[in-house]
Amino acid sequence: MQHQHSFVDRIEETLIAILIGLMTVVTFANVIARFGFNSNILWALELTVFMFGWLVLLGASYAVKKHSHLGVDAIINMVSPATARIMGIIAVGCCLLFSVFMVKGAYDYWAVFADLPPTSGRWFPTGFADKFRSQSFYEVQDVPMVGFLRFLEDLINYGDEYEKLPKVVPYLVLPVSMILLLYRFIQAAMQIVRGETDRLVASHEVEDEIEEVRAQQGEHD
Amino acid sequence: ACDEGEIVIKFSHVTNTDKHPKGIAASLLEQRVNDEMNGKACMEVFPNSTLYNDNKVLEAMLQGDVQLAAPSLSKFEKFTKQFRIFDLPFMFKDVNAVDAFQASDAGQGLLDSMQRRGLQGLAYWHNGMKQMSANVPLESPSDANGLKFRVQSSDVLVAQMEAIGGSPQKMAFSEVYGALQQGVVDGQENTWSNIYGKKFFEVQDGVTETNHGIIDYLVVTNVDWLESLDADVRDQFLTILGEVTTTRNAESTAVNNAAKQSIIDAGGTIRSLNAEQRQEWVDTMRPVWDKFSKDVGQENIDAAQAINASM
Amino acid sequence: MEVILLFSMVIGLLLIGVPIAVSLGLSSILFLLFFSDATLASVAGTLFEAFEGHFTLLAIPFFILASSFMTTGGVARRIIRFSIACVGHLPGGLAIAGVFACMMFAALSGSSPATVVAIGSIVIAGMRQVGYTKEFAAGVICNAGTLGILIPPSIVMVVYAAAVEVSVGRMFLAGVIPGLLAGFMLMVTIYGMAKVKNLPKGDWKGWGEIAESGMEAGWGLFLIVIILGGIYGGIFTPTEAAAVAAVYAFLIASFIYKDMGPLADRGNGKGKLLRKPQALVTAFFHEDTKHTLFEAGKLTVTLLFVIANALILKHVLTEQQVPQHIAGAMLSAGFGPIMFLIVVNVILLIGGQFMEPSGLLVIVAPLVFPIAIQLGIDPIHLGIIMVVNMEIGMITPPVGLNLFVTSGVAGMPMMSVVRAALPFLAVLFVFLIMVTYIPWLSTFLPNTFMGPEIITH
Ligand code: NA
Ligand code: NA
Repeated sequence: MQHQHSFVDRIEETLIAILIGLMTVVTFANVIARFGFNSNILWALELTVFMFGWLVLLGASYAVKKHSHLGVDAIINMVSPATARIMGIIAVGCCLLFSVFMVKGAYDYWAVFADLPPTSGRWFPTGFADKFRSQSFYEVQDVPMVGFLRFLEDLINYGDEYEKLPKVVPYLVLPVSMILLLYRFIQAAMQIVRGETDRLVASHEVEDEIEEVRAQQGEHD
Repeated sequence: ACDEGEIVIKFSHVTNTDKHPKGIAASLLEQRVNDEMNGKACMEVFPNSTLYNDNKVLEAMLQGDVQLAAPSLSKFEKFTKQFRIFDLPFMFKDVNAVDAFQASDAGQGLLDSMQRRGLQGLAYWHNGMKQMSANVPLESPSDANGLKFRVQSSDVLVAQMEAIGGSPQKMAFSEVYGALQQGVVDGQENTWSNIYGKKFFEVQDGVTETNHGIIDYLVVTNVDWLESLDADVRDQFLTILGEVTTTRNAESTAVNNAAKQSIIDAGGTIRSLNAEQRQEWVDTMRPVWDKFSKDVGQENIDAAQAINASM
Repeated sequence: MEVILLFSMVIGLLLIGVPIAVSLGLSSILFLLFFSDATLASVAGTLFEAFEGHFTLLAIPFFILASSFMTTGGVARRIIRFSIACVGHLPGGLAIAGVFACMMFAALSGSSPATVVAIGSIVIAGMRQVGYTKEFAAGVICNAGTLGILIPPSIVMVVYAAAVEVSVGRMFLAGVIPGLLAGFMLMVTIYGMAKVKNLPKGDWKGWGEIAESGMEAGWGLFLIVIILGGIYGGIFTPTEAAAVAAVYAFLIASFIYKDMGPLADRGNGKGKLLRKPQALVTAFFHEDTKHTLFEAGKLTVTLLFVIANALILKHVLTEQQVPQHIAGAMLSAGFGPIMFLIVVNVILLIGGQFMEPSGLLVIVAPLVFPIAIQLGIDPIHLGIIMVVNMEIGMITPPVGLNLFVTSGVAGMPMMSVVRAALPFLAVLFVFLIMVTYIPWLSTFLPNTFMGPEIITH
C-alpha cells in the first residue's frame, strides 16, 4: 500500500496532515468555547482560513510531484506514445510558464507587505522597482501578534508596534509555495523529457483509493 | 464599456445597486460621471462584492487594481486608529451630529490622515445609526447579558459587546440570517436599512431603537492615482462626487425611516427606549471609550462631544 | 470575442493534458496581460483571496476529512449490511440495497467518486457473486453514486454557496427531497427491471438482523444527525458542523468501530479500551490517524487548487464585465425562464465533459446567476439544478468522473461502463427535467424551515 517514501516526502506529508488536523482542532475548539462556555475564540476563523490557504498552496507542489493534480487524460490515452510525449512537453512548458508568472506575481504581492521593493517589468522581472509604497503596517483582522515575531517591528515596521499579526506573515506562503511549485514543475519537465512519464495529471480525485481496491481484489481473486 | 482614451474609474463595492444607500449613491455617481465626463472618464461599478470584498478592496486599491471604494469606516482602523472614533458607542447623538463632525476640521483632517499610507479619503457617505436586535426583548443592557452577538471584526465592537455582557461572534455574512434564526447567535447590531434589507427582523424577537453607533462609509482613492489626473478632470470628478454626496446623505435619514416603517408594516417589533433606559445603555457602554481614547485622540473625542452639546 | 479566445485556450490546454488548475490560471494570466492593465501581483492576490475571502469553502476540507475517517473506519461495510437487511429480500434486492447504501453513504460524504469507491468496491463484487451481470452492477452503482453531491453534505453545494453567496445550510436542506426522490426513482426502476428480467432476490433475515445491523451502522449514520441537526438545531454554522463531523468520525473510527488506530485488529483481535487506556491519547498521534489526515489533506489540495484558480478566471470575467454582457444578450434575445434553464442545462452538460464539477460551478454560477435573479428564478433552485447537471456530467462520456471510478472499481473497460450506465442515465434525465421545472422540490424544505430566500443581488 505504501509507496517508496523519501525523507522529503515524509516532511511534506506530515506538514499536510498537521495543517488539516490543526484546522479541525481550532474550529472544534471554537464550537466548544461557544456552546460549552458561552465564550469564543475570535481569531479562530481567521487563523483557520490562513492554515487552509497554506495547506492548499504548499500542497500544490507536493501534488505536482505525485502527479495528482486533476486533469483530462482522455486524449493522451488515445494518441500514439510519440504524440503523447510531444503533448506532455507542451503541457509541462505551459505549467512552467504559469509558475514563473506566479513566482513574480506572488513575490510582488508579498514584497510591499515586507517593506521590500517589488520587481519591475510587466511579464517577467526586469529588476526591482526603485519607488514603491511600503505596506508593512498592514495587519490582519483578528489574529493577535505573537511575541516571537516582535523582531519584525524594528525590522520592517520602523519601530511601530503591531497589535495584530502583520499581513507579511500569512502572505509569506505565496512566494514560498510558488517557488516550490516552479521547482516541482522543473522536475516534472525533466521526467517528461527523459521519457519517464508522459503526463502530469490524474483523471480523478480517488486514483489512489482505486489502486488500493484493485490491489485488495487482486489478492482475493 | 469604456471608450478608447477615457480614464477608467473602477468602483468596487459590496451592496446591491438599487436598494442600499451606498449602492444607490454609487449608481448615481456612475451615471453622472458617465454623462458629464463622457470622453474624458468612464466609471465601471462592480457591486455585490463581485470584484473585491471590503477587506480586500483597500489592498487592491494600493496595488492600483481599483480606483474607488467605499468600505465602512471601521475598515480604516488598519491605516490610522483615529477611525475607531466612529465605532465608539454613543459617541454621536444622532446622524446630524455625525454629519457635523465629519464636516468639522477634525472630520476633514481624517480624510487626509492616510496619505502617507497611500489612501486619500474623498467623502463620507451615510448609512445611518445602529440599532440592536436579539431573540429576546432588549430593554435594559442587562437583557443582553450572556447573549451571543454577531459582530464585524473590530476591537471596539468586540469591547462594546463585552461591556454589555454579550459574547461577540464572527461568521460569514451569508450565514447570519440562518444563524440568527436557528439561534447559533442570539443577536446583532445594524442600521434600519440593513436590518430590513437582510430581513433580520423576521428572525429576532424585536429591534431596539438604541441609536448607539453609526455605520458610515468613506469613499477613498489611491493618492498616486488621484495625483496622476489632469487638474480639470480631477476637479470635475471631485465636484460631481461632492454633489452626489450631498444629495444622497440628505436622503439617508429618509431611507432609514422608510426601512423602519417597512419593518413595522411587515409585522416586526420595534422597541423604543425612554430617557432613563437609554441612560442605562450609555452608562454600560461608555467605559469602552477609556480603552480606546489614546488611539482615537482626546481632541477628536472632545470635538465630537462639543458638537453633540451644540445640537 | 476575446472571451471566446479565453475559453478556447482553457479547453485547448485541458485537452493536451495541462492540469485543470494550471489551464484556468494560465489562461486567465495571459488574458489579463494582453487585454487589461492588471498586474501579476493582482493574480497572486486573487489566489490567496480564494481562501481569505471565502470562509464558507472551509467546510470542504472538514467534510472530506469526516468522510475519510468514516471510510477508513469501515462504515461502508456496516451500511451495506444494514441495507441488505432492509431491502435485500425484494426482487433485485441486492441492487436496490446498493442504491440504498449509496444514499446513506451520500449523507456522510460530500463527494460522488468517494461514494462509488466506498460502496461500489464492496457491492459490485457482492452482486456478481449472487448472479447479477457485472454490467448491471456497475450501471447501478455508477448512477447511485452521483447522489453523493445531491444528498447533503455536498462539496459542490458548498462551492455554489461560496460562489454566489447564498447560505450553505439552505442549499443542504434543498438537496434532501431531490436526493431522496432520485434514489427512490432508481430503486423503483430496478424493481421494475427485476420483475421483468427475474433478477435474483435475497433472503429475508428477519427484524433481528435489521435491528442489529442498524445499531452497528447507526454509529456512523448518526453523523447525519450531527450535520443537519447541528445546523438546523442552532448549534453550529455549516463549517463548524463539518469540523464537528470530522472529530466525531475520528472518534467512532478509533474507539467504536476500532478499524483504525491503537485499538484496531492487528491479528490478535480488537483491543479493549479498558486494557489500553493510553489509546485515548495515542489515537490522536497514531500512524493511521496521520495517514487519514494526510489523504484528506491531499484531496483537499487537489480540489481546492482547481477552485482557487477557477476563482482567478471568475475574477477576470467579472473585471471584463462578461456576466453583464451575457445577461444583456440573453435578456434582449427575449429568453424566458424555461429557455434560460435549457441553456444553463446545455452549458453545464457540455462543460461537465471537461471539468471537475466544483471548478466548473465556480465559473458558470457567476455567469448565469444575475440572469436567473432577473428572471425571478430562486437562487437555491438554480443551485440544485446545477448540482443535478453535475451528476449527469459525471456519468456521461467522454469525460465522467464516476465512469472512471466505476471502471476502476469494477475492473471494466470505460465503454462497457458507459453502456451499463445508460438505462439509468435515462432515469436521471427524467429527474433533471422534474427538478428543473418543479421548483417546489428544491425550495419547499428551505422555505419551510428558513423562510423564503432573501434576494438582494
Ligand atoms: Na453527500
Ligand atoms: Na461527462
